[in-house]
Amino acid sequence: MAEKSSGKEEKAYRPLNTQGLLEQVLFRYVLEGNAASEAGRLAWVTSGFPVEIPVAMGITATYPEQYGAVVGSQKVGPTICGFAEELGYSQELCSYARSSIGSTRKPEESPLEGLPKPQALLACNNICGTVLRWYDAISQLTGAPVFLLDTPPIEGEQQPHHVAYVRRGIEHLVEFLSSTFGVTLEEARLREVAANSTKAIGLWTKSLEACKNKPSPLNCADRFTTMAPIVTMRGAEDIIEFYQALYDEVQERVSQGVGAIRDEKIRLLWDNIPPWFSIFRFFNGLAKRGVVFPADTYTHAWSGSIEGEDLFASAATIYSNVYLNKGLQAKVDKMVQLIKDYDLDGFVMFSVRSCKRYSLGQLVSKELVTEQTGVPGVVIEGDMVDSRLFNEAQIQTRIDALLEMFQ
Amino acid sequence: MGSHLVPTGASGAEAARRCLAELSRKSGADITGVPTISTGYGRSLIDFAEKSVTEITCHSVGVHRLNPSIRFLIDVGGQDSKVIRIGENGRPTDFELNDKCSAGTGRFLEVMARVLEVSISELGPLALKSDSPCNISSTCTVFAESEVVGRIGAGENSKDIAAGVHKAMASKITTLSKRVGVVPPICVTGGVALNPAFRHYLSEQLSAELWMPDNPQLTGALGAALLSLEP
Amino acid sequence: MFRHENYLLVTAVHVDNSFDELRIELLQQFAVGRSPARQQIRRSLQDLERCAIRAVTRERIGFRLSYVEVVEGSERHLRELLASGGTVLGYVYPHTPLELFLAHGITPSLVRTNQSVQGGFEASLQTFSCSLTRNLFSQRSSGALPPFSGLLFPTNTCDSLHNVADIWRHRFPEDKLFRLTYPAARFDEGSVQFLAEELRILSESLEETYGRALANDDLLAAVSLVNDFRNAAQTLYSCRVVDPCLVSYSELARMVREFLIVPNASTIDQISKSASAASRILGERGQLSLVKSLQKGLLTGALSHIKITVESKSPRILVTGGMIEPQAIASLFRGSTKSDNEVVVLDLLSLGFKTAFTPPVILKDDPFVAMSRSILGAPSEPTQEGLPGRLEFLRLLLSKLSVDGLVVCEQSFCDPDQFEAPSLAKVASDLDVPAVRLPMDPELSDRARLEGRIQSFLETLEGGQR
Repeated sequence: MAEKSSGKEEKAYRPLNTQGLLEQVLFRYVLEGNAASEAGRLAWVTSGFPVEIPVAMGITATYPEQYGAVVGSQKVGPTICGFAEELGYSQELCSYARSSIGSTRKPEESPLEGLPKPQALLACNNICGTVLRWYDAISQLTGAPVFLLDTPPIEGEQQPHHVAYVRRGIEHLVEFLSSTFGVTLEEARLREVAANSTKAIGLWTKSLEACKNKPSPLNCADRFTTMAPIVTMRGAEDIIEFYQALYDEVQERVSQGVGAIRDEKIRLLWDNIPPWFSIFRFFNGLAKRGVVFPADTYTHAWSGSIEGEDLFASAATIYSNVYLNKGLQAKVDKMVQLIKDYDLDGFVMFSVRSCKRYSLGQLVSKELVTEQTGVPGVVIEGDMVDSRLFNEAQIQTRIDALLEMFQ
Repeated sequence: MGSHLVPTGASGAEAARRCLAELSRKSGADITGVPTISTGYGRSLIDFAEKSVTEITCHSVGVHRLNPSIRFLIDVGGQDSKVIRIGENGRPTDFELNDKCSAGTGRFLEVMARVLEVSISELGPLALKSDSPCNISSTCTVFAESEVVGRIGAGENSKDIAAGVHKAMASKITTLSKRVGVVPPICVTGGVALNPAFRHYLSEQLSAELWMPDNPQLTGALGAALLSLEP
Repeated sequence: MFRHENYLLVTAVHVDNSFDELRIELLQQFAVGRSPARQQIRRSLQDLERCAIRAVTRERIGFRLSYVEVVEGSERHLRELLASGGTVLGYVYPHTPLELFLAHGITPSLVRTNQSVQGGFEASLQTFSCSLTRNLFSQRSSGALPPFSGLLFPTNTCDSLHNVADIWRHRFPEDKLFRLTYPAARFDEGSVQFLAEELRILSESLEETYGRALANDDLLAAVSLVNDFRNAAQTLYSCRVVDPCLVSYSELARMVREFLIVPNASTIDQISKSASAASRILGERGQLSLVKSLQKGLLTGALSHIKITVESKSPRILVTGGMIEPQAIASLFRGSTKSDNEVVVLDLLSLGFKTAFTPPVILKDDPFVAMSRSILGAPSEPTQEGLPGRLEFLRLLLSKLSVDGLVVCEQSFCDPDQFEAPSLAKVASDLDVPAVRLPMDPELSDRARLEGRIQSFLETLEGGQR
């Protein structure tokens, strides 16, 4: 999956040692998914779902969104999305959804032979409203039932009736999993899984925060790849080891003053999902010009732990208060905070055509972020999986214009 | 008995009158009072037609007359493309249109021919000379044009670029076809059907042979004429 | 007066404060017919272009004006209301608690899309924003949006509407914006309670902003008013399934729309009268009990005992879609068929059927719970859970109501529409009912092609009948 930059003796970026371990972890994830499907214990889950609960009940989770990243990275986005388009799905729809529908329809022609067959589809709309419709479409293809955990978007403080509503949704979730899989939830087990999740997230967060250092020990492409386990295997004990290893490597780099890129000159914020089909080429291309991204809004989205007396209420709160569920102002606030905390010189907002929840509003937030931080930024257009919608020449021009502002 | 083609120009109605006048002269036949049906864009402007019928039906009927075995019709014109399932009685049973976007229409090829500095009739044969077509990934004509310019700038062979352009066209048409469900035997009509590279790549992507009538630009008119004779 | 297939799209683009001047822009003209008529039309149009009209009246030009002329009519009521100083709150999403606003002395008015608006969104919305939101935003930017006293946006229905509301607030901070958050999970007492609480909070905001508390008497009157509308609309819809020629689809769409733009006694009166007349005629034919039975079935979804068999020379078409305006559909069909044959037998549109077939508010203890239950009892939307139920309902309609063809409308860049459309088309194809997709936007920018598509589809159906 890692692309090497062409032919140079000294590369502009430094690959992570932990990359090898990452590949092992993900391989295990794939194997476990297949095994669980055969045993009738597999659910497809959205990235923002309180996965600790099904995991505590013995269900294995697999992530179509991560699969979308795989499809993008393997540069077969247009083909796989095309399978969905042949069924009549518009090209204007989310490309993660299209890849998922396309590969479910034609697994034999898809990377990794598609995702293993699910027995249930668990969607939480804290990341966007599209997931419900996407999973409904998958349900039509696979026959697996959909469960929606509804976390309506919040503005400001989460109201008590909102917590109560989501909490009740979680109770329903447990009922649904019980009746679908014939399993039960033990509180002790849930605490254990939640604790694993917390530990892994804690280590991950420390790695993220280490990027405040100059030079930054991680570039965003590194974070985009190493975040995979926190998304797909949250709650599993195995990934704690991985994130410890990652953090160890990060700390070593920091102590030696070694950066993710050789010649750090400009530090920028990245907003939105990256273009998976060009992830190394794009960021390493910029690395050659001394540009590093010590922070981004995508990898900073996974935080917060389920704990306390009432685990359901805790989950209801944590999972409702995610970055994408809080409106424009909250996004601006977060970006401003990252720019200040990580001492960034500017920002790049990737306007992902497929992702309305993330992208619609960037034209306004761009102005607000510059107003509140004084640093310049640029909006570039494209897609995270569908490479047909990515126009290199246009993008380069805009980035060049931004970089010229720093000269 | 005869046929005549004129470009529409600024007034469809005027062009139609001129066309009929010329046709009458060429064929020596008196065409006053002959039943007339108009079809295509601007069909409602032809005031001397009794009725207007869409191209979907006209193409279907026209092709059925020329070859009754055809069950699937792909028509690629200058500004739109259509795929039509033809029933046993020669009438359409289902169809899909690409009428919003110029990629997948003759316009796409016109733009690319201009960039490659060849005429539209040279573009196909040029593409056929290639055995390693480029990958043109943009689905939008405007983006694809800049992609092609980029490739020319990178020193790539114009025959490979031309081939890539035709592949991209064929791919759009193939997706459109699959939305309706491809049922052979398949016919191609429309101006773009005359392009041998387009036919080659389309046939390859559909994994099927393509039949083309001798005058692929006249099947709609033929169908309209046949329909006008019906009671 | 002469009758032609003329399309004269006239729209008021700018209305200044005193309503003294209407600047009319000629958008399109197709003149078909014999030459003398064409001359006459041309002269009338030249006259219009030259004169400034001093009152809110229009020249009747004697040929069948389309969509926009009818829109003008509904807008007139609204403008009169605004001019008289009434508090009018614009709303966007169909399942809005009209009763709540009326009980606060506020008129809820559906914000409609404007066919002639062009641009004005580019600095704030990317092009992949849903075309409905782009249209509304452009109206606001260009000053073409009626001067509502406030606007209500939904949350948790779709991402475009949610994000655009945030953007709107930043760009137009002087606008009073209200948000109502809907549950996406439907079939649960928890959802009812959640929405009830949201309605209570909304009620408090309305009181705080406009200074008038919710009055019980007004609430009772409002519930009765809206109920009258719904009964009348349901009756008309049901009558039209049995005989679509009783009332044209354009007429039905117009009456529903006029009520949604200004829900008052006069807009209810016209639809009630029409419903009574239609019922009377069908009563004379001995079909009234069928209509009643059908109305109940459409409201509850229980259609298994219904079977409509109709001998009709025109094809019978069912139209599905989301927030596409019924008026737009009526206009497109009119343009395609060029006849008075009524082909649209039923729609399932959010601003048509789903608004009409919402269960009544049954006031018991907590009015907010009652309103919440009514809203959540409406036919399910693609913004909510329940796809299998929606597909089953469609399947029943197609099998029981003698439907010859399905038109699946998709609003451009609308996630809910575009995700649902393939499943809807599949229901039809599984039943061997021909279907056609109609991708469209509020500006009807592709009008000619859309009409062509409909015409082709109707020809396909006729071909099948041979």
